[in-house]
Amino acid sequence: MTTERPPAGPLAGVAAKSTALIVPGSTAVSEPVVVRNDLWSPADPTAYFGGQPPTETHLREFGATMEGRRDDARWSGILEIIPTKADIVLDLLRANSLWPLLSGLACCAIEMMSYATSKNDIDRFGAFPFRASPRQADVLIVAGTLTTKMAGPLLRLWEQMPEPKWCVAMGDCTCSGGRYKRSYSTIEGIDRIMPVDVYVPGCPPRPEGLIFGMMKLQQLIKDRRGHWPERAIGPTVPAGI
Amino acid sequence: MPPRVSCGRRERDDEMTTETPPRATPKGTHRSADDPNVLLQDDYDFYEPIPPYPPRTEREAEFYTLGDGEMFLNMGPQHPSTHGVLRVVLKLDGERVVDIDPVLGYLHRGVEKLIENADYHQTISQVDPLEYISSLFCEWAPVTAYEKLLDVEVPRRAEYIRVLSGELNRIASHALFMGWFALDLGGLTPILWSFIERDEIVEMLAALTGQRMLFNYFRIGGVNGDLNHEFMSRLGDWMSRAVSQIESNISLLNENEIFTRRASGLGVVDTETALRYCMTGSNLRATGVPFDLRRTHPYSIYPELEFDIPTRTEGDCLARYLLRMEEIKQSLRIIDQCLDKMPDGPIMAKLPRLLRPRPGRAWSAVEGPRGVYGAYAISDGTDQPFRLKIHDPSFIHLQAVGALLPGHLLADTMAIMASLDPVMGGVDK
Repeated sequence: MTTERPPAGPLAGVAAKSTALIVPGSTAVSEPVVVRNDLWSPADPTAYFGGQPPTETHLREFGATMEGRRDDARWSGILEIIPTKADIVLDLLRANSLWPLLSGLACCAIEMMSYATSKNDIDRFGAFPFRASPRQADVLIVAGTLTTKMAGPLLRLWEQMPEPKWCVAMGDCTCSGGRYKRSYSTIEGIDRIMPVDVYVPGCPPRPEGLIFGMMKLQQLIKDRRGHWPERAIGPTVPAGI
Repeated sequence: MPPRVSCGRRERDDEMTTETPPRATPKGTHRSADDPNVLLQDDYDFYEPIPPYPPRTEREAEFYTLGDGEMFLNMGPQHPSTHGVLRVVLKLDGERVVDIDPVLGYLHRGVEKLIENADYHQTISQVDPLEYISSLFCEWAPVTAYEKLLDVEVPRRAEYIRVLSGELNRIASHALFMGWFALDLGGLTPILWSFIERDEIVEMLAALTGQRMLFNYFRIGGVNGDLNHEFMSRLGDWMSRAVSQIESNISLLNENEIFTRRASGLGVVDTETALRYCMTGSNLRATGVPFDLRRTHPYSIYPELEFDIPTRTEGDCLARYLLRMEEIKQSLRIIDQCLDKMPDGPIMAKLPRLLRPRPGRAWSAVEGPRGVYGAYAISDGTDQPFRLKIHDPSFIHLQAVGALLPGHLLADTMAIMASLDPVMGGVDK
């Protein structure tokens, strides 16, 4: 595959799409962000479709085009390249009103509910309203074992969430495979198929652990200071947080 | 500006990209999820409500069997009410459900295959996450099956501890059921109340076992740890107000006319249907059959304990709910008696570290909060089980949904499914 590597740097995606800047008087995103209808590629190409080669190479190609990497909710125009105090304020607002997606996969989902209910009330930290629709959610808490059959639907959920969005891997299964690492039907860590911002290990982690992870995510959002980091498959948590 | 961190994963992914074979499908097409031999166009086929004729996949062919006014509705796998990752394709006639097609396997983790490659002690941690609401019963059935294979006598104190912790787990499971059932009917408050109970119980079980959910506590020939001070103090604290707390939780729903009217007469199962679908547990007892393994096929120390098997005759959603609430009270009675009669002594039988049972087969079943949890273990004389078949009540009960749902309204599907209390971890294994 001869895809050109995108230029490095957190603002490379914005600079590549400079058409938004030369259109005079543009106040919004000038080009619609087209999410192609491709799905995920398995780690083992023979695991699907009866050994036929996979057709979906989605995140890698999609990432190479630098589409979908810009922040739709940011101010457009010159503010797209120069972070301002407004972006910092926006990040502050986002960090303190995270709306997770109501999507549980397995055991960890019960602890995810427990962290939202009476005893460990995540409402205190500004992350309560679990949204059932990905269109209204900011954070995807992947709670539970991700199997190969569920990987496609989960990735579609992730793509349906509007930017800016964050992903929390909850539990050992989603961090590294956990106790089902050797199974034939699970994915050894969701960072093989989607970007992850915060890892919360444990099998399952206590609700306090997830609260700590969400507070780390809030710190991560605030430390962004208006920059939208380049998303890669793999950990994107900056050092020192 | 935060420092950018380059991770090694990206380079490795690029290497993997060069190794993958080239695309076999033309640009702009993808393979159908129903039939991978069928190529679909990206921009046309995805959002198109009417598939082309002649149909290319089985699902598209079903579309042309729809009658007048009928439609398909997909529900899941991400749906807040399916209690996990279950996908159901509903065939609707207006608001009425005509037929359903459940699609399973979104949580298939290959547990039974992993068990064949683990030794006898390691399998206990593999079966734990099957029914993650009531993990102790998932352990209990295989452990007793192994004990039959090994012909081990379990110490009496270990049996009492098993029953004590198991009944606590049953109360936690039923408390969660109350919250979810009300949540699926549209009420938010009961789940906040039921998680108070559940958190208290799992915290005391965590003091006993070391984990909140996936306990990994039962051992072949006993249990992992003896009762400790923290567990006993938490248990005594909770027991002093458990009855009044549970009564107030139950009265929150039982005295709610909207709830009772909504749930009564919904999803009625008669005894014959329940037996034909091999339903067990509360779902069977709600139809009037007093079948409870703790009485009909007694195991452990249950013959020495005094408790009732509550039954109801209506067989509807409300009966299944009320029955579970009644079982909570019976479990409290059992816990009282366990604490009263708890003997002193060892908690583990004397066993070698590496277990090699004689070749043979053993079936064991326990009565869990959802019904009969069974395990069928086959030993070939090595230190690894040749096969462990898990019999899970959630899977059995989910079969009955196909018979229950047709004729009901779309809004009732989640209520009926929730009243059967399936857990998808146990269904897909």
